[in-house]
Amino acid sequence: MNLRPDVRRRLLQIPIVQYFSSVKLAVLCLLMLLFLTLWGTIDQVNNGLYLAQQKFFYSWFILLYDVLPVPGAQLVMWVLFINLALVAILRFEYTWTKAGHLITHLGLMSFLVAAFVTFKLCEESYLTLREQETSNVSTAYHDWELSVWKESADTKNVTAYDARNFQFGKVLDFTEHGFSLIVKDYFSNCNAYASPSQDSSKRVSYINASGIKSLRKMTLQKEPEKNLPGGTFILKRAGVEDVLVLLYGGETKETPIKVGQETYFLSLRLKRSAMPFSIKLLDFRMEVHPATELARSYESEVEVQTPEMNRRTLISMNNPLRHKDYTFYQSSYSIDEQGRESSTLAVVKNSGRLLPYISCGLTFLGLLIHFGIMFLKFLKTKESIG
Amino acid sequence: MQRSIAIGIVLTGILLLTTNTFADQSEHFKLDAIKKIPVLEQGRIKPLDTYVRNILLQFSGKTKYKQTPALEWMAKLLWTPEDVAQDKVFLINNPEVLLALGVLPDPHRRYSFSQLTKGFHQLHELARAAGQIPDKERSIVEKELLRVYDNLILYIDLTYCLRFSVPHADFVINEPGVYAKLQLPEDQKEFSFLDIVLKADLIKAMTDSLEKKNAEQWTLVEKDVFRLLTNLYQWSLQYRNMPFKIIPPSDQKREDLLSPWDAISDEFKTPAIREEISALNTLYYAFTHGRQEDFDRAGYGFVESVLARAKHFRSIKFLSLEIFYNQLKSFAWAQLFYILAMILFFVNLFKPNPKFGPISLALIIGGFLFHTFAVISRILIMGRPPVTNLYETFIFVAWVSVIFGILSEFINRRGLGILIASVCGFILLLIAGKFSTEGDTLRVMGAVLNSNFWLSTHVIAITTGYAGCCVAGVIGHIYLIQALVKPRDTQQLDMTYKFIMGAVGFGLMMSFLGTVLGGIWADQSWGRFWGWDPKENGALMIVLWCSIILHAKVSDLIGPLGVAVSSALGILVVAWAWFGVNLLSVGLHSYGFTSGVATNLIIFVIAELLFLMVTGFIITQRKLKWSFLS
Repeated sequence: MNLRPDVRRRLLQIPIVQYFSSVKLAVLCLLMLLFLTLWGTIDQVNNGLYLAQQKFFYSWFILLYDVLPVPGAQLVMWVLFINLALVAILRFEYTWTKAGHLITHLGLMSFLVAAFVTFKLCEESYLTLREQETSNVSTAYHDWELSVWKESADTKNVTAYDARNFQFGKVLDFTEHGFSLIVKDYFSNCNAYASPSQDSSKRVSYINASGIKSLRKMTLQKEPEKNLPGGTFILKRAGVEDVLVLLYGGETKETPIKVGQETYFLSLRLKRSAMPFSIKLLDFRMEVHPATELARSYESEVEVQTPEMNRRTLISMNNPLRHKDYTFYQSSYSIDEQGRESSTLAVVKNSGRLLPYISCGLTFLGLLIHFGIMFLKFLKTKESIG
Repeated sequence: MQRSIAIGIVLTGILLLTTNTFADQSEHFKLDAIKKIPVLEQGRIKPLDTYVRNILLQFSGKTKYKQTPALEWMAKLLWTPEDVAQDKVFLINNPEVLLALGVLPDPHRRYSFSQLTKGFHQLHELARAAGQIPDKERSIVEKELLRVYDNLILYIDLTYCLRFSVPHADFVINEPGVYAKLQLPEDQKEFSFLDIVLKADLIKAMTDSLEKKNAEQWTLVEKDVFRLLTNLYQWSLQYRNMPFKIIPPSDQKREDLLSPWDAISDEFKTPAIREEISALNTLYYAFTHGRQEDFDRAGYGFVESVLARAKHFRSIKFLSLEIFYNQLKSFAWAQLFYILAMILFFVNLFKPNPKFGPISLALIIGGFLFHTFAVISRILIMGRPPVTNLYETFIFVAWVSVIFGILSEFINRRGLGILIASVCGFILLLIAGKFSTEGDTLRVMGAVLNSNFWLSTHVIAITTGYAGCCVAGVIGHIYLIQALVKPRDTQQLDMTYKFIMGAVGFGLMMSFLGTVLGGIWADQSWGRFWGWDPKENGALMIVLWCSIILHAKVSDLIGPLGVAVSSALGILVVAWAWFGVNLLSVGLHSYGFTSGVATNLIIFVIAELLFLMVTGFIITQRKLKWSFLS
């Protein structure tokens, strides 16, 4: 990165390079991030954490009054990343006294990379188990999927489409089962009704196991867990007339369809993820502070079951279980009417889990060196004045 | 003359506080014997001395009732409640609550039990309705209603806690034959619950045989004994799970203490517990009859017995320290020393004297020693790092700021450090005092926070970051005042500016460390490093603000004046991150909210902005004028 001075000079004469490598741009980006952070924090009061995250921190632009585009945090962070990279290449002095400075900025760059990797790769779900129950399937908090499986006595092979990208006309191809679905309508949050739509143009009959005859779009909830999606789909089968299928996230029944001699089930459900191992809950324990109802600790004793071996371990607050790319955290618990305890574990799959740790260490080390050198310099100046 | 001023200032302050500190002794009846009784409350074993102060604080916002020490007031509540029924101890802040209760407003906003009982039925109904509303959705009036209602219930419960010693109509002997059967003194008609419980074996022997008889065949004596037995049973049920848990159970594996009522119901056969209940009975008679010697003997005996049986509890070892901590009032001393140092500093500005500097520094160090003693005592008492709640953040940030001030004074002996330490120490302890009026500030923590490792890393780092930024803000103000008052003293201004930069850098480093450690803690407990939660965002804003100041200076967007103004504005960013976000009542960290904070915060923000605009404007105008003239 230590370019020759003349190359640096020449590059810095290019206006766009000059602009993107200026410290003033860094100040602007930092100010914008500060402003977005404040705005996104206050917005949580009315719109909740999830919507504020999507609107301010994961977006490229925010539309003010649905018209005026304001840069979102994602865009600002990318510009800041480019700025940091260019400053490191073109403006930094590669001397020992500036080592702290350089390390800090490299740390910050790796921080932004870590944030991006986590944003893209991290998958969050949960696993609720009763004592002595075993499972290898975790459930997403608020991501939905349209899943299809064949009626079968033994195993259940599920094919699923992520519902995040559903929009009018999207084709969901289940060639191996001999049919396809085309999205007609899809609402991220809606109410379901047992009576047909009042709008006569939409009064059509649907295949639905729960007797739902119409859906009405609703605004998104503050807590994304409260959103119940729904949609209507055109079912296409060879040699048979197209029919409409209605699926709703709040249903407890799956909708059966006939394809040839086979019966398939369709369901709009929270996204499931299969893990390459199983977790068995052996025991759940909770302690409270004496003479209060305030919990002091929760812990789940579990067994991790893999084809090679089974191992027992304890998951408690601040003490998660890490296995392969997965981490299990004690999240909550419940006791049913029969007094049976169940424990909910948050499941996070994140291949880039270590990146933020490395970035933090690097940045802090840089700050320590930089301000350490500055302090020593200050003491020296003071002595010389004295 | 100047020496007299200095001595006068110091002595007046010390005298005022000394009078206050040692005024905790009752003039009538000494209650020292019971101060050390261990009481389990809110998950923690504490000395009775702390318990009573907290109860009174919870009721009235003060740790004394007029000139009556908390322990004396509480002793009356426990043993002679009729003596305190007219005491105005219930603080009610909201006029709408008073209206609902039909009570006329009092200029001191405090009301007696007798006043409130008139509207108790109405209060009960309103509190029941408010209790059904989720906590976050309750209005200020509903919260206040519930608080007042809970306090009234606790007050009533406390009056019953030791009532087993008080003779009651339910235990009147109607049939003379019962005296002989139960071996009770015949010159007494009305007995206490305890008097009758002590005869439980005799009663049982008599009533067992009654099962074989028809009720019509019972003699009058048997009927009277059966009535006593029924009343005993009803009282035992009625007074289950009362507060004032002071008796260790015989099973040492248990982590709780029992209320005397539960101890009588469940463990009265244990000799030590029987002795302890008997000692409590003696305390009642000694207190109500003014027999000091009997009281002391029973009190010390009771304490000795329960402490011996409860020695396996960690907190028992620190009861004496906690009592000393309560009595010493270290924070008040520290505050006094800091304000005296500040006054002396300003006196020195107008009437310079070479001795004032060292005296001020000595006062700061004196205050710091009291401050340190209090911080360490709290660590020892709770067995955990110093910061676990909002109150403690103020104590700790003040402490770090004072260290910063003392170090600065040793580096640059021109009074800057004294000003930093005295201003930060005094103001932050003053704010902490406001947060201490809600009850016990030494509280147990919920499961997710209950980690000494993270409390001693993340929390310490982030609060140290707050301290760095607060100090930078204070020095920023000092710079602005210096630039107004002594604009041509460039050497002093330059030195102050360097201190600002140092404090901003320190604040940035520690805030960054605290923020990332918080991220790591979140990753360990919730499975995500960063979630844009309001508290996380607040910490990020501090890091961003410090970075903006440093980068704006590097790129010459601002000069020393801009740095001073920005660092002063940094206090607003810190205030937002520290407790401003709690006002939003959203997110995982939304703890420690106190109504009234919002108003104070807004007033502070407006005052600060006005100050910065006015000083900034004057300084800039003056600079422009000078550059024009030159």
